[in-house]
Amino acid sequence: MASPRMPKPILKKTSYPATPVRNTSTTISTPSREERDRETALQHARILQARKEVELDILSAIEELLDYPLAGPPHDSSNPSVEDAQTFKNLLKPFQPSDYDDLIVERNIGENCGYALCAKPRVKDPLGGKYRIVGTRGRAKDFKVVERGELEKWCSEACARRALYIRVQLIESPAWERDVAQSFVKIDLLDEPKSQDIVGGLEKMNLDDKEIQDSTQNRQDLALERGDQSFASRNGLVDVKILEKDVKREAEAPSLEEDLSGKLNTMHLSLEGHLPRFEQQKKSLTEDDGDEDMDWKL
Amino acid sequence: MSSEQDQINKQREAGDRDNARLWRAWRTIHEMVQDRGYILAEEEVKISLSDFVKAHRDGSGMVSKASMKFSAHPSDAMMQRYSNPATESNPNPPPPDVGTIWVEFLEGDNVGIKHMRTFAQYLSAHNFHTGILITSVNITPSALKIIPAVASETRIETFNEQDLLVNITHHELVPKHVLLSKEEKSALLARYRLKDTQLPRIQMTDPVARYLGLRRGQVVKIIRKSETAGRYASYRLCV
Ligand SMILES: [Zn+2]
Repeated sequence: MASPRMPKPILKKTSYPATPVRNTSTTISTPSREERDRETALQHARILQARKEVELDILSAIEELLDYPLAGPPHDSSNPSVEDAQTFKNLLKPFQPSDYDDLIVERNIGENCGYALCAKPRVKDPLGGKYRIVGTRGRAKDFKVVERGELEKWCSEACARRALYIRVQLIESPAWERDVAQSFVKIDLLDEPKSQDIVGGLEKMNLDDKEIQDSTQNRQDLALERGDQSFASRNGLVDVKILEKDVKREAEAPSLEEDLSGKLNTMHLSLEGHLPRFEQQKKSLTEDDGDEDMDWKL
Repeated sequence: MSSEQDQINKQREAGDRDNARLWRAWRTIHEMVQDRGYILAEEEVKISLSDFVKAHRDGSGMVSKASMKFSAHPSDAMMQRYSNPATESNPNPPPPDVGTIWVEFLEGDNVGIKHMRTFAQYLSAHNFHTGILITSVNITPSALKIIPAVASETRIETFNEQDLLVNITHHELVPKHVLLSKEEKSALLARYRLKDTQLPRIQMTDPVARYLGLRRGQVVKIIRKSETAGRYASYRLCV
């Protein structure tokens, strides 16, 4: 466990050379300028390295997903194979929405439907024109004018929906800046694989959940051990500690037992049971009622 | 003149224009390769429009991009300029990092990951040290990311056809840029007692730097003509 540290004042830079630290009893020595510079440089190098690795991962994920789905019929975009769906979700983990858009562009270059679990070719409208009107047969709210290029990314409207359903679940921040909680994304498909063996599927799901919990726990433990719970604190950008306020008084439940008559003349001021007090009122409330008729003597 | 005849004429004119465009890009890329120090015959570089069309047209009389590709070997002078001088600490320096270059024009409305992978694989399979891919459309962001990913195997540069219609280094306002060898660079720095980072800079993305294929850390000598001082030189470090 990490030993508790003294909360640091934010405004005063104790490590600044011009104001030497008086309190020599603290064992933490202030790092020299060179050390700090070196640490900063290392920090930046680490971020760059992490970024490079993530970008390579994303690139190879896009390349892999170009030829998806692997499973042929009877599986299709409304009922993908369990393996394809699982790999698809795993590969998407480091993606930002813009990376996902890149994947769609690349699939479209190969004339495939933009939704990676669909084996159909995308539609190509032989008619010219920049815009198309859709939803003329449905209710008024479905009526839309969209760019033709937008429609030609998919084989059908259903696939467009499936693809966008995933896009909104992706995390906006780049993977190398995500914290522990964010680094574990769970992506759901609009059309999950329809397993024939429901019991087996359920068991598998539970197993997965167990795995998920374990791995999250492991990650958090590791992060705690390293002392780097989030990117920001790892980077030394913020050092904020939240301290619980100690309550010494015995806790007691509010009661209505006491006599209400004493409160009658202030009850109209009560806000959800709380009585706001101002300085004068405070005085008059604490003073004996008998003093009231002495006021005029001043 | 009948309208049918008119139509045919218009089509031919458009075709001629396209052929002329490709010819200009072809000339510029040859000049670029030659200026970098690769060996090309003068008649290859200074090919006339009619000879170019004759050599590259398909059955319809239009130039086909599929045939627009060539390779070239570095000259001895170029090998010399890229060589790593032997020093006391390193008596056996690595050989110069240059080799055969491959240039290819790519057809198509889009260039994605698959095209770039195919190109990279072609370069590796044929031991081309450097490859230049010329496209008429923008390359997708993911495809561009392949270039650094394969950098350890082969160097890929990309150019847009549009940017090759004129040779920018022939413009009178663009001064002459000459790449210094490593020896010349260290001599320069020793003479002025400089570190290379103290030199003014030229970006690797600068059009002239791209034309010469400059690499990070190389120094170019820039020779300007001045009405008052005759010719004067300045130096820039590529970053
Ligand atoms: Zn589809």
